[in-house]
Amino acid sequence: MKLLTHNLLSSHVPGLRPGGGFPLRIELGHPSELPPEPSPGYEADEEFLRRLHHVLLEVEVLEGSLQCPDSGRRFPISRGVPNLLLTEDEA
Amino acid sequence: GFEQTAAEEVQEKLGSASRISRDRGKIYFEVPARSLPQVHRLRSVDNLFVVVQEFKDYQFKENKEDALKDLEDLVKKLPWTDPLKVWELNNSLKKKKTKRKKHNLQSPASRGKLSDGGVEGGADQSNTNDQEDCAQNPVAVEPTGGQDTESPQGVMSRNGVEEEEEDNEQSDVKVEAQAGSESGTKAGDSQTGEAEAKVLRFRVTCNRAGDKHSFTSNEAARDFGGAVQEHFQWKADMTNFDVEVLLNIHNNEVVVGIALTEESLHRRNITHFGPTTLRSTLAYGMLRLCDPQPTDIIVDPMCGTGAIPIEGAAEWPYCYHIAGDNNPQAVKRAANNINSLLRKNESKDSSTALGVPLDVVQWDICNLPLRTGSVDIVVTDMPFGKRIGSKRKNWDLYPACLMEMGRICTPGTGRAVLLTQDKKCFAKALSRVGHIWRRAQTVWVNVGGLHAAVYLLRRTSERAEHTGAFW
Repeated sequence: MKLLTHNLLSSHVPGLRPGGGFPLRIELGHPSELPPEPSPGYEADEEFLRRLHHVLLEVEVLEGSLQCPDSGRRFPISRGVPNLLLTEDEA
Repeated sequence: GFEQTAAEEVQEKLGSASRISRDRGKIYFEVPARSLPQVHRLRSVDNLFVVVQEFKDYQFKENKEDALKDLEDLVKKLPWTDPLKVWELNNSLKKKKTKRKKHNLQSPASRGKLSDGGVEGGADQSNTNDQEDCAQNPVAVEPTGGQDTESPQGVMSRNGVEEEEEDNEQSDVKVEAQAGSESGTKAGDSQTGEAEAKVLRFRVTCNRAGDKHSFTSNEAARDFGGAVQEHFQWKADMTNFDVEVLLNIHNNEVVVGIALTEESLHRRNITHFGPTTLRSTLAYGMLRLCDPQPTDIIVDPMCGTGAIPIEGAAEWPYCYHIAGDNNPQAVKRAANNINSLLRKNESKDSSTALGVPLDVVQWDICNLPLRTGSVDIVVTDMPFGKRIGSKRKNWDLYPACLMEMGRICTPGTGRAVLLTQDKKCFAKALSRVGHIWRRAQTVWVNVGGLHAAVYLLRRTSERAEHTGAFW
């Protein structure tokens, strides 16, 4: 799973408050070398853009899980593919 | 069905205008012979042929014997020289790629190369239109000037129709029988220099459409083939041929051509087939229809083996492509196909290495774990009643899908391109979601003998609040 994909994913466990499913917490990541917020003028900062591209498109989570911020429900990531299916009971 | 798309691609990449034949699934255009490598790289076409000659209004004699005799007599009058030079040039291009054995085209389990050739995944059903007599489906190129390979050569390519009945033997068997038995020479020889062989092997493939002809495609192929054999002193061989001659008859339009592709390009990116793997050329056509812009997020929420997102990432690398499915086998195959693509990418060019803008997720189409309004384009092959699922399931599935796809799609600018065979069910589902989706265009296609439709939909400006707002 690439980080850019994670940016689009939201938990769909029923009964969450609006917006409560995002962002999913990645467990088993490693610290990114990026600052928490982009600094002003980041569009021109080539070095920053390279690192951003790398983190968004070239780093993949192979094994781990995504945790719903509201419900705590965990979704596994295995062999690079996150499984966001809900069980029969949950849906 | 995607002739127009193919014509656009040809204009864009080769700078040539195309003529779309009345005979479905073919376009004709002219390019210099030296552009042949680029022609092979077109993504919207399945087969290529060089045109020997085209007759816009050929008058067939009413009597069968006379009509066939005319076709036989035609052979020695045709301008074969230049097209054969193009064929030779094409062979030398093929040799530069990894040499591969001429497969018996009935092996569905064969693995395709990820680079330019694709393996024909088994025989597909032929079109059962009773007016058409289809023995093969090739395409042609039209030569113009009379010089050598420097002169502009025309190219016709074909797409859209999956009647790849590569092993329909009817006309071929007759040609072979007439020329004498050739079975002894089949093995081994085909791999050695085709262009250098003094005696070439050939077969004739005939497509015939129209209700006024007094003969069948088999008969035409047989007699035309006999005349070709006489004229060139080639050997007829239906499986290990060097030259495939095409005789295309559509009412009064007759085209004689020579094949430049031996295997269909259409499975090129897929190494792991699923039960209903979509052709890359069809995937390309669908993607082009929605006009992807750089930075667009493109999602296939029922991706199967991932044919569409994989084609997308290859041709539109400035977009981001996500493949998703609920089925674990499908997800696994899609992930494998993507890994193959990544490995191929790495070995090609290590400097621009890794970032292939493509990812896979396992999810439920009716309850997508995607943020509202976060996706620009949804492109997918909706389950057909006949192959996967059933018509009754489609009845429930289609409206739910359209709703969810509407939610995740950006209001105003978003669009969807959906392929389905279940047109009735789709139309009904669409009528219920008129507040989110508007029909913009429909393309009629033929997928493995099934008549299907590709719908381009535009997302209205109406916003969704959050999950479940539309229900």
